[in-house]
Amino acid sequence: MAPRSLNTDSAAQGQPATGSPAAVASLGSVAGVTVPLILVAVFLPELVGSFWLRAFTSSAIFALAAAGVALLYGRLGLVSLAQVALLGLGAWVTLRLSHGAGLPFELVLLGGGIAAGLVGLVVGLPALRMRGLYLALITLMAAGCFQVIVGGTGFPDGGPGFLGRVTSAGARLLMARPLIAQSDPAYFRYVVVVVAAGFLLVALHRRTRPGRAWALIRKSEACALSAGVNVTLYKTWAFTLAGFLAGIAGGLLAGSVGQLDGRNFPASDSILLFALTVVGGAYSWLGPAITGLLLRAFPSLLIAWGVDGNLAYIVFGAALLHALITAPAGVAGQLSDLVAGLRARFKRHNKEQDE
Amino acid sequence: MPNLSPFFVTGLAVGAIYALSGVGLVVLYRASGVLTVAYRAIGSAGALLAWPLAQDGLPQALAWLVAIGLATLLSLVYGRVLAPQLAYRDTVVKAVATLGFALILLGFARWYWSDDPRQLPLPTSTMGLSLFGVRVTVTRLIAFSLALLITIGVALFLNRTRLGLSMRALANNRDLSAMLGIRVLRVETWAWLISGVLAGVSGLMLSDLVRLDAIVLTFMVIPAMAAAVVGRLRSLAGTLIGGLLIGVLEAVATPFQAITPYRSVAPFVVAIIVILWLQRRRVITFTGDQ
Repeated sequence: MAPRSLNTDSAAQGQPATGSPAAVASLGSVAGVTVPLILVAVFLPELVGSFWLRAFTSSAIFALAAAGVALLYGRLGLVSLAQVALLGLGAWVTLRLSHGAGLPFELVLLGGGIAAGLVGLVVGLPALRMRGLYLALITLMAAGCFQVIVGGTGFPDGGPGFLGRVTSAGARLLMARPLIAQSDPAYFRYVVVVVAAGFLLVALHRRTRPGRAWALIRKSEACALSAGVNVTLYKTWAFTLAGFLAGIAGGLLAGSVGQLDGRNFPASDSILLFALTVVGGAYSWLGPAITGLLLRAFPSLLIAWGVDGNLAYIVFGAALLHALITAPAGVAGQLSDLVAGLRARFKRHNKEQDE
Repeated sequence: MPNLSPFFVTGLAVGAIYALSGVGLVVLYRASGVLTVAYRAIGSAGALLAWPLAQDGLPQALAWLVAIGLATLLSLVYGRVLAPQLAYRDTVVKAVATLGFALILLGFARWYWSDDPRQLPLPTSTMGLSLFGVRVTVTRLIAFSLALLITIGVALFLNRTRLGLSMRALANNRDLSAMLGIRVLRVETWAWLISGVLAGVSGLMLSDLVRLDAIVLTFMVIPAMAAAVVGRLRSLAGTLIGGLLIGVLEAVATPFQAITPYRSVAPFVVAIIVILWLQRRRVITFTGDQ
């Protein structure tokens, strides 16, 4: 995947951040992210029914988790196979705080994000010693641990004790949604705003000191070290940020569904999230958005068409092989190539007409 | 303190399953540099094909042969068609690519054979004998001895034969091996063929011992990877011991009420401890790939 990632890296990170044309350009691309998202948030709930609204809410949530995976893979070349587990952890902490402390939604969301960020930091610590296959394996094993543990404890649903589980007789409680977003359409808009904030947080990192440090570390850790980059700090920072995003996504998921099942966070889902992040594209903000749609809206589309949902696996598998073999920047990369190609052809066409 | 010896015997039987898959993973990894996530998917595709055939009245032995044949064929298809395209990529990319193949097989299996619960009983499961007060079926005994036999057989093959030597050379450095005149494609084909046969045989065993469910069987590969990690992805004996150890730990935790629901955490905890221990003095700043 070398050539493309190098190009995007140098374009995004080679420039100082403020007071230069690059800053203006980066403002432009920030607008490019936010304007379509605002349009989606305003109009989509008016256009689709509740089935699709739930699918898109879920897609947006997983796009945020995918943004963390893409950050680690696209910026640092690190493979973390524990992000769905971190999402589940964030959801657990969010539910626990929500039922236990009755704090406002924003605070419990932040609590879940911070908890998952801290655990992400711990999971990422081995990355200081290893990368490649062994790092992927150790994160996968951590995801396996989480799968078994949460399968045993389940998610809090308003019961007593540390685990907060309702015993046989009591009624299971749903998690409280934010005051301003009680209905499904309002909650969808709320999710889009939070996810957009998460994307902007990543964009901000890419364009400032951490982004430049990550680019250098990706090239060569020895280089980064000799250039005075604190490799330990920035690597753990990336893992913490990715964990934080996954945790926030988990909190949003908990708020969206209300109750979660402990069996729904298997380690295999973490691998699937990574695979689809590669398919979507790990080098731009569009990639994780596509990943979210593939993961959660595409199976709904198959169901709506009356096609067996298991065919989604076949499509995912074929898309993954295709992406790895021929399209390292994923669907997002292919789309931007297409746009660039059309633009070049359009310009050439205009020039010919001028002459 | 409850009497643990029956759980110990059960644990060895469960561990043999982990070891059987783990050894298959290590063989292919050593021979081709691919840690395949599709290993169990390939094996279970064979078993899933054998099931309707056996239902339709095909002699059982023939159905098993078809299962092993299909697994071998699938393994060869991946090894010859898809794997060479990724030959020069990171090991982790090669591993993730096999997930693509696994997902295709999984999707096909669940779509074509639906996901109703069913079992593929081997005749050996009705025979059994008693060990320390535990009834052990012959299938479990076969799984255990097969894990042992395959470990010894493959270790001898890799260390003593010309082809085994070529495989190890190839996994180590593809370019240099090619330059030394090793027939890259032929050797790799053999590696994938052997791996396919192993996947097919162990797939039949697992569909009897676990259950014939595509998702469960496909992702059995994750705990099997834990066993392979204990063997540092290199040592076959280490993998065998790792698999057995994990199985025993898991089973021995059963009689303790407080930890029973969490006992399947054993493979992952063991693997994490082993990885951290192996990498304890490692500094990657100035070294190459890993």
